[in-house]
Amino acid sequence: MIFITGPLYSGKRDYACRLLGCGVEELEKRVVWDVQEQAAGCPDLEALADALARYKVVIATEVGGGVVPVGREERAAREAAGRLSVLLARRAERVVRVFCGLPMELK
Amino acid sequence: MFTLVIGGSASGKSEYAEGLVLASPHRPRYYIATMEPFDGEGRARVAKHRAMRAEKDFETVERYTGLASVRLPRRGAALLECVGNLAANELYSPGGAGEAGAFSAIVDGVGALLSQCGDLIVVSNEVFTGGDRYAGETQHYLRLVAEVNRALARRADRVCEVVCGLPQYYKGAAG
Repeated sequence: MIFITGPLYSGKRDYACRLLGCGVEELEKRVVWDVQEQAAGCPDLEALADALARYKVVIATEVGGGVVPVGREERAAREAAGRLSVLLARRAERVVRVFCGLPMELK
Repeated sequence: MFTLVIGGSASGKSEYAEGLVLASPHRPRYYIATMEPFDGEGRARVAKHRAMRAEKDFETVERYTGLASVRLPRRGAALLECVGNLAANELYSPGGAGEAGAFSAIVDGVGALLSQCGDLIVVSNEVFTGGDRYAGETQHYLRLVAEVNRALARRADRVCEVVCGLPQYYKGAAG
């Protein structure tokens, strides 16, 4: 599995298309994105990471920058998102951060 | 040479970008300022920065919207600061291009500058890791800045992120 992360709107899905040599419409079958949203309220992040690792490419948006949210739910969601990314990076054979459309290999 | 310098607030991006202009062999040095002063405090800030840059031999050109109409008298080195301001101006100022035209106004404007200088340094903002739950207006703004950043990054010879004053190159190399 290749794990792609990066800031909001940084071109992560475009990069996945380039990586797989496919169009956006085909992406849905082979790639899962916005997995940070699945982390929110998930009772078992390890199991979620295992399930996601079956995809060819997994994409998460970095959401841990900025001020810690005041709301309990939002705070927990952000925490879970970060934790899930760590678990995914551990399972990935390759980790790429996309910044302004430019990939940087983290692993 | 076209360099895109990106960084968070107070990351040292402006200072680094200014250093790139000072190191450029091209003269004169132009500073394209985009912050529209709205009150006395803003005007005082602009006046102070203008004086500081004059000492470093920069000529300040103020332009809040419609970058494409900037005409630089000579082929020098230019520093444009910053995309975040330009995006807000194009979206929300009375003279701005509005939502439909903002992207082209900025990207084509940078293209027009490129054709007029030997070295161009554009400063932009890293504001994209603070979450993905923004209300409509903020989301439009963020999307615009991100799309401009990506378009400029494609075109730039060099792209770096400044962290704690240190440039991290994603494209091209320092020096």
